[in-house]
Amino acid sequence: MNRLRDNRTQIVRTAVAGRIAPVRFHTETLNIDRNGRLTLLPGSGGINLDVHCGDPVDQWLADHLMVGASIEDAESLPASPGALHLLACLGNTVRDAAGRTIGVVAGKRGGLAPDFFPPNLVAVEMPDTVAELLKPSDRVVVEAYGRGLVLTDRTELVLANLSPSLLDAMPLREERDRLVVDVTAILPARVAGAGLGSDRWIGDLEITEMEPLIGNTASLHFGDLVAFDGIDARTNRFFNPECVAIGAVAHGPSPAPGHGVGVTILMTGPRSVLQPQIDSSSGFGAAFRRLTHSIAFATPDNGH
Amino acid sequence: MATKAIVLNAGRLVRTRLSAIIQPTRANAAVAPDGRLQVRPGQGGVALGIALGSPAGGWVADHLEPGVSLIHPEPAANGALQTLACAGNRVTMVDGPAAGAEGVVFGKHGAVLAMFAATDLARIAPGESAVVVTEGVGLAVEGEPDFACHSCSPRLLERLLVGRDPRDRLRVLIRRVLPAETAAAGIGMPVWRFNMDLHVDQEPLAELTRDLRFGDIVAVQDQDHRFGRQYRKGWLCVGVIAHGVSIAGGHGFGFMTLLTAPGDRIVLEQTDDAALGRLLG
Repeated sequence: MNRLRDNRTQIVRTAVAGRIAPVRFHTETLNIDRNGRLTLLPGSGGINLDVHCGDPVDQWLADHLMVGASIEDAESLPASPGALHLLACLGNTVRDAAGRTIGVVAGKRGGLAPDFFPPNLVAVEMPDTVAELLKPSDRVVVEAYGRGLVLTDRTELVLANLSPSLLDAMPLREERDRLVVDVTAILPARVAGAGLGSDRWIGDLEITEMEPLIGNTASLHFGDLVAFDGIDARTNRFFNPECVAIGAVAHGPSPAPGHGVGVTILMTGPRSVLQPQIDSSSGFGAAFRRLTHSIAFATPDNGH
Repeated sequence: MATKAIVLNAGRLVRTRLSAIIQPTRANAAVAPDGRLQVRPGQGGVALGIALGSPAGGWVADHLEPGVSLIHPEPAANGALQTLACAGNRVTMVDGPAAGAEGVVFGKHGAVLAMFAATDLARIAPGESAVVVTEGVGLAVEGEPDFACHSCSPRLLERLLVGRDPRDRLRVLIRRVLPAETAAAGIGMPVWRFNMDLHVDQEPLAELTRDLRFGDIVAVQDQDHRFGRQYRKGWLCVGVIAHGVSIAGGHGFGFMTLLTAPGDRIVLEQTDDAALGRLLG
C-alpha cells in the first residue's frame, strides 16, 4: 500500500449510463494486415467469454480483443466518446439495469480522429458466469470515480483513467524524489502507433512493434503495466523525450498496420520524477484481476 | 556496369474525371499541452496568400490547409476522390468567378488539397465546384515489388526518381530526413486516403523541421507505408508537407505519403529542389 496523498475525498462519484456494445465490423474499410492480406477477426465490441485480466494478450486469434464485456456511450450511433467514456476509470464498478454489480472497468479502446470509425469502447472485467447472462445493447451503469484525481504532493504527475482503488493497488513507491512504478516492459516512443494525437482520456495508445527498450513484451497480459519512454500524455498523447507515460494493457494485438496491443494511459510526467522499473517477477495483470473481483463482489457500496 | 533503367507502368494507368466541391472552412478548438484552449481557423475553405514554397510553420491556425480543400458530399464518391487524387493531378474550377482556372493537387488531409495561382485563389469560395483529373493509383516501378506508391502521379514520380546508384537503388530527391519518432497522429489509418501528422513541437524534431515549407518532399525513417502506416525498422517513407501545425500534442505538419520502400531499394538525395512547386513547375 502506498502512502501518497491525493484528493480522493473531493472527487465526485457519478453514475453514468451506457450500453453493452455490439460486435461491429467496419466493412466500409479495407481490413488488410501488415502484408496486404485480407484479415477479418473478431474482437471489437460484444462480450468475450473466457477473456480476463491476467490472461496472455496473444492467446486468441483476434483483433483489438478486450476482456469481458465492451461497453459504450448510448447517445449516438456509432458511439462517440461521451460521459461514460470520458469519466470511466479503471477500477470503477459497473452495474446492470437491475442494479446488480456485473464487473469492473479494466481498459479503454479508441481515440481515432473524430467521426472516423470510432470504436470508443470500455472493457469490463467480469466472471464468465455473469458474462453468460449478458447481451449486446443491455443497459449498464458505471460508477464513474476518478476524473480529477491528483497526487497532492506530486502535481507534476498527471493521472488519467485511474480510480483511487486502482491507484492504491498499483505497484508504486517513493524513492528519494521520484515515484517508481513496477512495469512489465518499457517501450520507446518510436513504436507508439495508433492513438497518438488523441485525448489521454479516450481509448489507448497502441504498440506497433514489440521492440522494448527493456523488459519482456513476449508475455504481456491484459492489465499488465507498461511504460512508453518519450511519450507525454498530459493532454493528448504525443512525443516528448523528457516525459514518460505508464498505462495498463487494455486490448490485444491487431494485424492492421500501425496497430497493436493497446495501453490505456494511467499516469504521465517528467522522467526526472516518474520512473518505470522492470519487475520481472510477474505482471500486474493477475493482481488486477484479483483486484477487480474484490472490488466488484465485496460488500455493497464498498469504498464509501 | 550500367544500371537498370527506371520503367514506370504509367501507360496503363486510367485517367478519370471526378467532381468535387470546395469544403467549407472550419473553426477548430484545440488544447495545448499546458491546457490552453484556442479556437483558430481550421481545415477547409480557401487559404489566401499562401503558396507552395511558403513556410509551413508560424501561421496562427490549426491544421491549416493551403490552397483549396476539395471534398465530395456523397460518402462513397468522397472515398473515390480521397483515394484516386494524386499529387500532380490537374484541377479545374467549373463554376464561380474563377471558372476555368487550373490548379494542381499537392496533398491530402481529410480533404484533397489543391493549389491555384494567388489571383485565382482570391476569387474561389467554399461551395463552388471543380473537376479533378485523377491519375496515379496503381503506379509502380517495373522490377521493384517492394517499392510502393500512394497519391503520386506519374508526372511527379518521374521527377522524384532521378536514376539509380551503383547498387541499383532508386535515387529519390528529398529535402529532409526525419527520425521515426516524428510520425504522429495518422499512424494506423489508411495511407491512401489521409495524411499523417508529424511531431514538430519538441526538440530535436523542432529544429529539424523549423524551416520546412508547404510542398517540401521529406522522408521519415523506419516507416513502412505499403498497406497502412506503421513503424518498421529499415524502411523509409517519402511524402509531401501538405498542412500546417496544431497546438494539440501529437499533431503537426501534415505529411502525405508518396512512396515507401525498404532502405536497400531506395537511396535519398538531399536537395532544396525537392519541393513540389519546383518539381512540377
